Amino acid sequence: MSNAAQSQQHTLTIHTRHEAVAIERLLQVTRYRGFTLAGLELKPLADLSGLLITLSVVSDKPVSLLVNQLNKLYDVLDLELHQAEAGALRA
Amino acid sequence: MTGAELVVKLLTEHGVHSVFGYPGGAIMPIYDALYQSPVKHYLCRHEQGGGFSAIGYARASGQTGVCLATSGPGATNLITALADALLDSIPVVAITGQVSQAVAGTDAFQEVDVLGMSLTCTKHSFYVSDVADLADTLREAFSLAQSGRPGPVLVDIPKDVQLAQVDYQPLHLTATSPATELSQFAEQIAAARALLQQAQKPMAYIGGGVHMADALPELNAFLTATGMPSVTTLKAMGSVEKSNPLYLGMLGMHGTQAANLAVQQTDLLLCLGARFDDRVTGNLKKFASEAKVIHIDIDPAEINKLRFADVAMLGDLKALLPAMTAAGNYADWQAHCGALKQQHGWRYDHPGERIYAPLLLKQLSERMPDNSVVSCDVGQHQMWVAQHMRFNSPRNHLSSGGLGTMGFGLPAAIGAKISRPQDTSVLVTGDGSFMMNVQELATIKRFRLPVKIIVIDNQRLGMVKQWQQLFFAGRYSETDLSDNPDFVSLAAAFAIPGHSISHKDEVESALDAMFSWPGPYLLHVRIDETDNVWPLVPPGAANQDMMTDLPQWEE
Repeated sequence: MSNAAQSQQHTLTIHTRHEAVAIERLLQVTRYRGFTLAGLELKPLADLSGLLITLSVVSDKPVSLLVNQLNKLYDVLDLELHQAEAGALRA
Repeated sequence: MTGAELVVKLLTEHGVHSVFGYPGGAIMPIYDALYQSPVKHYLCRHEQGGGFSAIGYARASGQTGVCLATSGPGATNLITALADALLDSIPVVAITGQVSQAVAGTDAFQEVDVLGMSLTCTKHSFYVSDVADLADTLREAFSLAQSGRPGPVLVDIPKDVQLAQVDYQPLHLTATSPATELSQFAEQIAAARALLQQAQKPMAYIGGGVHMADALPELNAFLTATGMPSVTTLKAMGSVEKSNPLYLGMLGMHGTQAANLAVQQTDLLLCLGARFDDRVTGNLKKFASEAKVIHIDIDPAEINKLRFADVAMLGDLKALLPAMTAAGNYADWQAHCGALKQQHGWRYDHPGERIYAPLLLKQLSERMPDNSVVSCDVGQHQMWVAQHMRFNSPRNHLSSGGLGTMGFGLPAAIGAKISRPQDTSVLVTGDGSFMMNVQELATIKRFRLPVKIIVIDNQRLGMVKQWQQLFFAGRYSETDLSDNPDFVSLAAAFAIPGHSISHKDEVESALDAMFSWPGPYLLHVRIDETDNVWPLVPPGAANQDMMTDLPQWEE
């Protein structure tokens, strides 16, 4: 929709089901929708009820395009967009 | 009972009477459970045929289609059908057998990571590792396939889970989708109504989401009350009542000139269950560039994905459309759209004695029994069907829209016939597409399915050839199919009678003969390979810049 001139980094905190395939789905959607992976942290919740994933991405696309797609995933229980860093990373 | 018997029990619990598939080693317990069960299994002759038959079944009936395949190649053969169902939002549940968990991950015979392969072509996919989870997983699969924006769901079941013992626990709770509360949309509805009031040249752009929301009565009431002109996507054809004089037809790359010109001139585009895909918009930046947009859909990911919406609503069209209804005063715009429709009507007096496919399809549309289901394949014939046939429901026009899969038509027509045995199932296919799943003629023979097959044969891969002619300097790379088989003889090998025609004056009697024959029938139609599909929006162009080979004038 938009041709933003600058890439931006965004960080998302995602709570998923405790399924290994959940992380595959997150990465597949991230790649396919045109977002570059800039960071990934993953840890199981203490009670093993799910995974807590911190995903950082870079793209010149509006991050809402990724958030909306990730929110559709069955394995995603909760998703929070932390920040949209304004600094340009790449033209 | 065994896990396999539980699968069959769960199918009946969900009202599934017909499934499509092909057996193999890792799914043998489920096939054993199907043996003499109340669920009717239709043996297709390739898993892809089974997948497309399930899609045809679902699209023609509105119910969820079910297909089965074994592990490895059985599952990989399903993948194209799953992708097709995902792109066209069709509810399908695919059940695949998998190697036993004792050998999982060892590259066992016919082992492939089906779950991994299915990630990109399903709404969701499950691997069942414990028979105790099997019932809940299958129930969730059916629920997911049907809910929100429908789509395919795959359930991969290892053989040991199929063989394990489990108790069946009936489902006591029935999940229901929360109703759309209009109060939560009060602000958007008010904003939308204000835009509708201000608009001088509004246009309804109708997608497949409307009929999937079961909102066709509300749509037609809305169009009648507002007097708003309308266009549809390929998947939504048949949504607007035939009697509506302000319906301009399909828009987009091979849309009608009236539809494309009017959409480019509109000042308010009301997008209903559609997604601004590239075959619709042409050059996105130039698509209805002066228009404000109201976008209503069930899928949040479609809002603002490609085109900013001035007003957006995520909800049930069946509830929202009546709330937006208000009589408009668009007399000048209505007259203009009516004039465009008149000015750019189709012309059928094609010179010469050769059969002109658009005229044949118009004749077919007029002569086929009411409520016939027309399945088609992909290519020139598919666009001619969309342009020259009229449907009274999207359930009567099955076309692979999003994925554009050649080979879709024949198995889809089989699924349609099985889901609606009282209605006539017609396949319109091309000589290229037909050969892609031609083995399904054996399915027609086995089950004595009276599918009417029309093969429009130009001995070319026609649409690709058309683009080679227009955009690749006439370099016809690998599009010559002049060594096609004798299609009538081919059909005869499957005990399907047929006839071949090549002249205009043979068409009507040939159609009558086909429809009067009680069983399956193949009508082979030879056409001129130089006939192309017009109009055409070239790549990168705006939709008003259509290439038109044929002069078009008042009907």
